[in-house]
Amino acid sequence: MNKTWLIISREYGERVRKKSFIITTLLMPIFMIALMIAPTLMMLYATGDQKQIVVLDRSGRAIVDRLQPSAEVSFIREDGMSKAEACNIYGEESGIFGVLYIGSEVEMRDSVQLITNSSSSMMLEENIAAQISDIIEKDKLAAYNIENLDQILADVETRIELSTFLNDGTGEEESMESTSSGINYILGIILGMMLYMVIILYGQMVLTSVVEEKASRVVDVLVTSCTPFQIMMGKILGIALVAITQIAIWAALVIAASKFLMPMLFTADVMATNDMMMQALMGTIGDTGYLVMLFTYLLLFILGGFLLYASLYAASGSAVDSVMDGQQFNTIIMMPIILALIVMMSVFNDPNSPLAFWASMIPFTSPIVMIARIPFGIAQWEIIVSLVVLYATFIITTWLAAKIYRVGIFMHGKRPSWKELWQWLRMK
Amino acid sequence: MRDTILKVEHVTKSYTGHKALDDVSLEVPRGAVYGLLGPNGAGKTTLIRVINKITIADSGSVTLDGKPLTSAEVFNIGYMPEERGLYKKMRVGEQALFFARLKGLERGEAERRLKAWFERLNIADWWARKVEDLSKGMAQKVQFIATVVHEPKLLIFDEPFSGFDPINANMLKEEILGLRDRGATIIFSTHNMASVEEICDHITLINKSRNILSGSVEEIRRRAGGNIFEVIHKSDAESLVSTLEDKAMPLGESRGVVGGYHQTKIHVMKDGDLKEVIALLNDRCGLRSINEVIPSMNDIFIRAVNGTL
Repeated sequence: MNKTWLIISREYGERVRKKSFIITTLLMPIFMIALMIAPTLMMLYATGDQKQIVVLDRSGRAIVDRLQPSAEVSFIREDGMSKAEACNIYGEESGIFGVLYIGSEVEMRDSVQLITNSSSSMMLEENIAAQISDIIEKDKLAAYNIENLDQILADVETRIELSTFLNDGTGEEESMESTSSGINYILGIILGMMLYMVIILYGQMVLTSVVEEKASRVVDVLVTSCTPFQIMMGKILGIALVAITQIAIWAALVIAASKFLMPMLFTADVMATNDMMMQALMGTIGDTGYLVMLFTYLLLFILGGFLLYASLYAASGSAVDSVMDGQQFNTIIMMPIILALIVMMSVFNDPNSPLAFWASMIPFTSPIVMIARIPFGIAQWEIIVSLVVLYATFIITTWLAAKIYRVGIFMHGKRPSWKELWQWLRMK
Repeated sequence: MRDTILKVEHVTKSYTGHKALDDVSLEVPRGAVYGLLGPNGAGKTTLIRVINKITIADSGSVTLDGKPLTSAEVFNIGYMPEERGLYKKMRVGEQALFFARLKGLERGEAERRLKAWFERLNIADWWARKVEDLSKGMAQKVQFIATVVHEPKLLIFDEPFSGFDPINANMLKEEILGLRDRGATIIFSTHNMASVEEICDHITLINKSRNILSGSVEEIRRRAGGNIFEVIHKSDAESLVSTLEDKAMPLGESRGVVGGYHQTKIHVMKDGDLKEVIALLNDRCGLRSINEVIPSMNDIFIRAVNGTL
């Protein structure tokens, strides 16, 4: 045990002192926040210059006069020119973005055409299509000759907001926990992705490190001091500690932000905002107890998931001579992880579907799928069963991995076949 | 007669398609500097790995002090592999400390001993450097220290002199002899015969997976001694060989010496043939001088491999 501990502390000490570890640990939260804010910012600033579009209106409904220009696009009316002429004149050199041709039968296929000089954007296309549809719709409504049409339309416009709560048996909104599928969805994705990343990144770290130790023959020296099992477990646990350290630092940052920063930023009048989603988001981030619970589960599942996969990665690393040779095994190990990601995405539609349930019980997919379900409020017993199964499987895979490892690390030369691996497993 | 520290009995190890060790037995006396000799690919490293329990032999046994080697016993062995086993990214001092503590030394004790060794081998400045910044020879010194720092009673070096310049190779020799004087038993493999003569007192010669010669250097020399002569002659080596036919055979290459003469070492096969050989050389090869020489390990090595010892 003393020797395993020495190996753990070497693996841990070497890794946490690396510049790359310190940088990723501190930069990752900033990067994550940037990743969340970036799409909004991009929408705001990435529209670029106003695009000018020449409109040939053959509909006879004067659609062109009713098209509304925006910051993104403006429309120029052009009469007395055929489509071919317009396309010729307003080519790339003209500085015009494109030609919008509106045929006489607007609702027919190919009747409304946007012919652009460079690729157009989805937003621009939706904008134009929506505007023309609105105009036609209004024309049709107008054809019914209804009095006070505008008044009626304004009156019938309706928008409701759904408040969701978790049933606690009282039905009192004051006592029930308010829930938001939107927030759960975001949290689920963040947690699931985090687990995915940790398993892949740190798992491959195990593989690389085992291969390096084998190729440099360090393991030959180590084995005169300790057993192959101690070497393997020391490495896996050492790297697991590194992963836990990293997540603990992130958790501490987020929880500290929730405890000290949130009350300062979100004063009562900000909390009074009408936006339900915003309110729920702030509620979640501000709820320190809830965050602590989430991170506890996250740590438990990351540890279990990592240990399970790390044992497979260690066995693969021991069987090959170079990281490149390890790719074949890597691909196979990745399969259930990718599968878990796919299932995770479907979890968000129905967190309690049979697929979601079983995928969060079967150990190879369970960490990622279960952690993504937890924000939706999953029964405690499900989480516990999932954890027990996960950790039990980890013990079994580690036992098998150790059998391959102790033979593999001393085998040099060609990559072993599946048959040989099987023989190693059965060796006494 | 000194007692035996390590006994290897009838060890056989096959890999798919070839036999790496074929019924190899040897006994290493306590306090010896024991050389494992042989051409590249003869099976030296495999034998060392079997002794270290890195490779499991197909059959045969290895005992240390009469007992099979257990994990509790590994403390008593220091092993330096030929491909140096050091973490490239790790700092030299921390690395040496890690290996020393793995061998069971307390942190303080390990640090004290390591610092002393670093001073001794003139590498104290490297304590905080990374291994990847060191030259091969430098890294080897670090490896050497990591191997011997826990003062095991059995030390195994695989090709310890490869990668060292003559000055450092000499330093290493001195250290190995020093370790022996302080009571350690040393086994090392090499294909460099010169180093054997200088420091080994016992050898085993392995060729084509078999132990073809074992014993103390003195005894082997005595056994191989006699009937080796250095001949200085006028004619070239080829005519010398054809002249002598099967009465004597050359050991190694001829070399030219001043005055257009050649110098060749020959082994006269039978004691009684010497007169005749001299007569033949005198008649046909322009014999200038002939002297008896004490065989070098190199000569013995060549004769043993050729099966004429």
